[in-house]
Amino acid sequence: MKILSVIAGVLVGAALIYGALDMPKWGDPHSPASSHVSPYYLRHSIEHTATPNVVTSVLADYRGYDTLGETTVVFTAGIACILLLRKGRKRQGKRHV
Amino acid sequence: MFDFIVSYYNYWVFIGLMMVGFYAMMAKRNLIKKIIGMNIFQSAIIFFYISTSVKKGGVTVPILEHGHAAHAADGLEHGAHAVDIMQYANPLPHVLMLTAIVVMVATLGVALAVAIMIYRRYNTLEEDEIIKLLRRG
Repeated sequence: MKILSVIAGVLVGAALIYGALDMPKWGDPHSPASSHVSPYYLRHSIEHTATPNVVTSVLADYRGYDTLGETTVVFTAGIACILLLRKGRKRQGKRHV
Repeated sequence: MFDFIVSYYNYWVFIGLMMVGFYAMMAKRNLIKKIIGMNIFQSAIIFFYISTSVKKGGVTVPILEHGHAAHAADGLEHGAHAVDIMQYANPLPHVLMLTAIVVMVATLGVALAVAIMIYRRYNTLEEDEIIKLLRRG
């Protein structure tokens, strides 16, 4: 079992290293991630949202619905934790072992 | 060869971290150790995304300097064109990882709650012992 896990880890790691060869270099200012959409946000953040912090303006203004969905995720997780951890009154005598 | 290794070193670190978490999720029998492995895995992904936002050469956090002041002083409708985008880090990975951190905390909380329930019921967190108890009925 452990040997199988090591083999799987090495295989996936090798695949990831092979994939990393096509990635942009560390700190490349012209990498694809920072050359298409993000300059728009940096240029127009003040104009559109009057917020100097671009992360805040994207999180709360441009992607507001995403943040709303995120609160739904937290709410669901909280409800799940409460449902799992509350004291079960009906089943209390049933625990085996 | 050395230059090649150095210019991609961030990816090697993430791949190492990710494989540590992957191995822990697969090979460890203790459920808490599995959860720790899952957290290491998710942290590796978050570090990877954050590292894509880095730009070399005098880059600061994406908070526009004197943003309000410049806008008011110039009286410009489109004063935003003065922003030098090479001066600020890419804000998008930061935003996406804020969301991912929230999801990570949510999954961690639910996983720990499930682990507590398993411990209450079987009095153990070792996977093989739980399977043995399940087979016995």
